[in-house]
Amino acid sequence: MAFDLTIKYAGEGGEGVISAGDFTMRAASNLGYEVVTFKSFPAEIKGGYALSQVRMSDEKILSQGDGFNILVAFNGEAYEVNKPLLKKGTVLIWDGPEGGDFEPDIEELEAKGVFVYAVPMSKIAKEDVGAYITKNVVAMAATFELFGFPIEVLKEEITKKFSKKGEDVVNLNFKAVEAGVNYVKENIKKIDPYKVPGPLPKKDVIILEGNEAIALGAAAAGVQVFAAYPITPATTVGNYLSPIILKTGGFVYQSEDEISSMAAIIGSSFAGAKSMTATSGPGLSLMQELIDLASMTELPVVVVDVQRAGPSTGMPTKHEQADLFAAALGGHGDDQRVVIAPKNVEENFYLTIEAFNLSEKYQLPVIMLTDGSLSLRAEAIPTPDIKKIKENLIERPVVRKEEVKPEELDNLFRYAITENGISPVFVPTVSPKPYTATGLEHAENSRPRTTPKERTIMMDKRFRKIANIEQENQHLLEWDLGDLQEGEKADIAVVAWGLTASITQEAVKRLREKGYKIAALYPKLLYPVPKNALEKLASMADQILVPEASYLGHFARFIKMFTNVPQEKIVQYNIYRGEPFIPAEIEEKILELVGQKTNA
Amino acid sequence: MMEYIKLEEKLPPKEYRSDIEPTWCPGCGDFGVVTALTKAFSEEKFDPTAITMTSGIGCSSRLPLWMNAFGIHTAHGRALPAAVGVRLAKPETPTIVTAGDGDIFSIGMEHFPHTARKNFNITLVVMDNRMYALTKNQTSPTSRHGYKGSLNPYGNIEDPFNTIKFAIASGATFVAQSYSGNPKHLADTIQAAVEHKGFSFVNVLSPCPTFNKIDTFKYYKGRLIDINKELGHDPSDMKAALELASHVLDADNPELEDAEPFKGKRPIGIFYKVEKETFEERIAKLKEKFAPKDGKEPDWDEILSKYRP
Repeated sequence: MAFDLTIKYAGEGGEGVISAGDFTMRAASNLGYEVVTFKSFPAEIKGGYALSQVRMSDEKILSQGDGFNILVAFNGEAYEVNKPLLKKGTVLIWDGPEGGDFEPDIEELEAKGVFVYAVPMSKIAKEDVGAYITKNVVAMAATFELFGFPIEVLKEEITKKFSKKGEDVVNLNFKAVEAGVNYVKENIKKIDPYKVPGPLPKKDVIILEGNEAIALGAAAAGVQVFAAYPITPATTVGNYLSPIILKTGGFVYQSEDEISSMAAIIGSSFAGAKSMTATSGPGLSLMQELIDLASMTELPVVVVDVQRAGPSTGMPTKHEQADLFAAALGGHGDDQRVVIAPKNVEENFYLTIEAFNLSEKYQLPVIMLTDGSLSLRAEAIPTPDIKKIKENLIERPVVRKEEVKPEELDNLFRYAITENGISPVFVPTVSPKPYTATGLEHAENSRPRTTPKERTIMMDKRFRKIANIEQENQHLLEWDLGDLQEGEKADIAVVAWGLTASITQEAVKRLREKGYKIAALYPKLLYPVPKNALEKLASMADQILVPEASYLGHFARFIKMFTNVPQEKIVQYNIYRGEPFIPAEIEEKILELVGQKTNA
Repeated sequence: MMEYIKLEEKLPPKEYRSDIEPTWCPGCGDFGVVTALTKAFSEEKFDPTAITMTSGIGCSSRLPLWMNAFGIHTAHGRALPAAVGVRLAKPETPTIVTAGDGDIFSIGMEHFPHTARKNFNITLVVMDNRMYALTKNQTSPTSRHGYKGSLNPYGNIEDPFNTIKFAIASGATFVAQSYSGNPKHLADTIQAAVEHKGFSFVNVLSPCPTFNKIDTFKYYKGRLIDINKELGHDPSDMKAALELASHVLDADNPELEDAEPFKGKRPIGIFYKVEKETFEERIAKLKEKFAPKDGKEPDWDEILSKYRP
């Protein structure tokens, strides 16, 4: 059995719950383990429920998992919220028996098979260390001591983080570590089976949060203008990009609203710069008219939508994937957009680069969909090879004054009708033959034109650009067939996108271990809909399960709208409670469907 | 900082015209603005492949199409933020925004005060015909009280917006009004606006002969007063500028026919002009501090090291 341990720190915002998770994550990573962290901030600025859940393993981690092995409850609310998840075999470390604000039903829990340890973290921090602020360090130290984390690793992390604040601060935290460790040594008898094995060979990794990965990816892709307006949960993309972009010669611009952001990146793209914005659902709605304009003027722009629960103001910090319709079809008229979605933090990084490459190649807006939960998920990912990324960047085909012969000029047009629909690009200060890009229907030379013939030709040209997107971008379709042979029928097929895909992947893995044959597809390309791949998938099973965190199930309906997959094969599984799926749910659903099949 | 790309030799003004035939009505006031712009570009020795214009939607927003320059004909009200994008990407391109009173002061109003406040180096030329022409005669925020538009055929029950005062209050560092029926004044004013380093706003009274039968060339004849030449106004004086600006719309009101300072006339001229650091200059300072020199790649090992566990 692979080593797989999940520790959840939970408590009130402001008590260092989130830092505890971050420290633990870095410590685990420095021990050579794979790490994925999920965190949730309170909706309020002060107080409220916060959590940080760290999952560590010696194998690649696909998702959050179904729950935790160890819960470190800083307060009563953390205990109450997580009580249903304290199943047999889990561990509860609680702030007690004195000094905390609650007392768990110890007898009830122990009868269920939960291991309960009381560690008076508040009391120790206040009385023994003399600083309540070190409560989370006491809690971490106790946790590390109980489960066999080398304490030096925690002390290393503390030194790294606090040495800038001076020796006194570092020593205070070391005192807290000692206090926590000693409390466990002197007062607690370990009765649970969990233990972190020895260190593994250290990996060459960096730790990134979802939105941080997007920012770093954009910088690697060469973004020069990032214009955005603050909106939860997308604001941090700009926060993370701000310091980096100055080093790469670009600028993060806060505009007066989302409409302005979108207009600005159209202007900057027109002037030749790689341009991007990041927003959430409400901002995407405001940007629709201008996304159409980018499409009509064939300007490369990247729009990141970090989805949140809607509609309207909805639940700003909660998980949902219900913006696909808006991202793909939200403009008036028939425009061209490409919509892609990463499924984990590593893909947040690489797909952002891909978004730029696609927008430069096809000269249109590329919308990348992530979500609030993924934005806060942290992973240790192999350090990217920036040099290789830069060598493979795609740039729009700019006509340069010095490269064009005067006799060639007469036949060069901004919206030239070509076989693949892609036209040369003219940029101010660089190109000859200035033109005015217009949102009006236009001729090859950009002049406004509304004759039926020219309109039809130009519309065909724009759609021709994206006619073969699926075939030309096979790397955006992730097949997960296990050991299914060519022509072999699977028990069931599954399609999932975004964060749901990585959760589904874990469920599929577990079911395969139990002997089930599953054909899974995790499309990163959502629109234009990858018709061929979906039809191929449909031929492998009698049912296709499409789990989506939205009421309507956007991608399932896209399959029905845009492919020849027989509609009766599609089984939608929709949740809209503001939380991601857990693998167990998808596992159970598949068993329900496959079970039904074998009983029939 | 921020040197515009210029030519060695002047190009004649007609070289700044594209070969696209304007679709404006004969007698449209906006033709005067085209003439003045080509003259200004010629005087400034701008390279046509370096100029970038932006516009919104409306008759006057079609202007960039008639020019031999790069341009973006954007969405209604969005000319200014698109121009901001141009400034962020390529500050060396002279950036001129041409749009109408409805485009900038109705739907585009959210963008105007911010762009002015930030003092982006943009020249905004508004062609003010005091109504919406392309959609066939509706009132705009600058329409006279009582003006009959298609949606209020009983007469406009609103009072117009004082865009000159608003521009000064928003922090615009060059605020002027001119008239498309006075080619010399218009050309001089637009050239001064283009030369000004910062946000320049020129409101051009520009009659629509097809729909607006009140604010016509005939009406404006003899009814304009040059605040610099005739009243000796010093544009560097903010207090005086605001005082004058407060009376810009007095001539709408017959009861103020004899009132100071304009005595029933409409003011043209430069109300306010001040030198102030532009947004682009401030960005340049930040980049000076942090950006790699000569466009070289930054130290990616250093950047990545911050993310190591």
